[in-house]
Amino acid sequence: MEDKLLSIINRMIEKKNGKIINSLNGNASLMHDLNFDSFDLAELTVRIEDEFGVDIFEDGFVRTVSEILEKIQ
Amino acid sequence: MTLFWIDPARRQQKTYTDLLQDLDRKTELKKYIYHKDPYRVFVDLITGFANGSEVHLLDADFSQSEIKNLGIPFSELEQEQPVSVKNLSDFPALLKRLEENHSVSQVVIYTSGTTGRPKKVIHTLRSLARTAKTGNKFADDVWGFAYNPTHFAGIQVFLQAFLNQNPLINIFELSGGDLLEAFIKHKITNISATPTFYRRLLTNLRTPLLRVRRCTLGGEKFDPTLEGALRQIFPNAVIRNIYASTEAGSLFHSENDIFQIEESQKAHIRISPEGELLVHRDLLGSFDSQDLQDGWYHSGDLVDKIGENRFRFVSRKSEMINVGGYKVNPHEVEEEIKKVSGVLDARVSARANRVTGNILMAEVVKGERIEDELLEDRILARLQERLQNFKIPRIVRFVPELQLTRSGKKERL
Repeated sequence: MEDKLLSIINRMIEKKNGKIINSLNGNASLMHDLNFDSFDLAELTVRIEDEFGVDIFEDGFVRTVSEILEKIQ
Repeated sequence: MTLFWIDPARRQQKTYTDLLQDLDRKTELKKYIYHKDPYRVFVDLITGFANGSEVHLLDADFSQSEIKNLGIPFSELEQEQPVSVKNLSDFPALLKRLEENHSVSQVVIYTSGTTGRPKKVIHTLRSLARTAKTGNKFADDVWGFAYNPTHFAGIQVFLQAFLNQNPLINIFELSGGDLLEAFIKHKITNISATPTFYRRLLTNLRTPLLRVRRCTLGGEKFDPTLEGALRQIFPNAVIRNIYASTEAGSLFHSENDIFQIEESQKAHIRISPEGELLVHRDLLGSFDSQDLQDGWYHSGDLVDKIGENRFRFVSRKSEMINVGGYKVNPHEVEEEIKKVSGVLDARVSARANRVTGNILMAEVVKGERIEDELLEDRILARLQERLQNFKIPRIVRFVPELQLTRSGKKERL
């Protein structure tokens, strides 16, 4: 599950010509550390929904990687 | 020294005195306002207003091909006219000058047309300032500026603040700690933004901002979950939902998703038998469009009538897709994708989500044997060169053939 999330995040970073990450850091903030803007967050939520069948923003605002992992586990 | 404009990302701070001096120095004005720096956009806009000129607003991130599609010859971009905003003693003198020209000063705004052809909407300063409120009650307002300065909503916020000599703080490009700092340091009291912007704000903030007394949402569908979250973060604010469009300006506001047609609007607002909101031409900027029938503008918004004078928005009739408050014509994106070598056909549709309302998804039929990722990179590289960021599909799927409808419903995936 973590590997799949890592590969989704890395493909998105790659498309933005950013530096891919080797592992997921639970404390990493999506906006500050991964540098995701609103469109990136929207893409991430759609890709996670397709992969895991979970809408991570359904009941509030997700800020960190560990908050995503909690929702999809 | 009243502050006019603070742009933390550009380390810029201008007072109204600075503004008057910058206006004083202007001797030429380009017909097309096409700057990355919002302050320069405002200086040119005011210069146009003060001279009774016609100016055209272009998004700073328009590519050359997008400008060409607007029908603007490149030779005209540099065209200048002589202007003068000299010897104005103070701010009231500037306002007086604007007032003298308010029915001849024109601003041309470009918006995505429903037919694939961009639409030019022309507003006079008088029509732009129609909904601005001035007076002592507004004297202490400090505005968080969270729109593109070349879009209708951006001009509305700018005029509301400017006409009251309020400071504007550019928070549109800020995120994280910078956003929070801007609210606290500059004591922002008023903010108007899209739901997408507020969601970005909420992913960054946890502590309530007590100084904010007015929070306006517009440009996208009302979202009750977001409204609840905003009440927590802005506990002292009146939260308003607004309906506005480039063609008609601000028309309705409400504290929830039900809008009221006021007595004064009754002659100019109608709901068609099929539930489309119609606006009389008297309330509109001028534009050349087939959207106007017998003097009524067909907004493309389908509404549910509630009783005699109230309604709620249900959906859009047109194919335009609202991505975080920006309207995208899917045909424009499809045309660009189809020009990529290796692509046979493409369809662009909306994919709903809770962050930006929609993002774009492209289904692509390959015209040659090529790896998915390679062709996706090739498509994205071309689109990044030619289209504004919000028009670029975030999901690209390769399919053997295209679906027949463009509903964008999830079950199609």
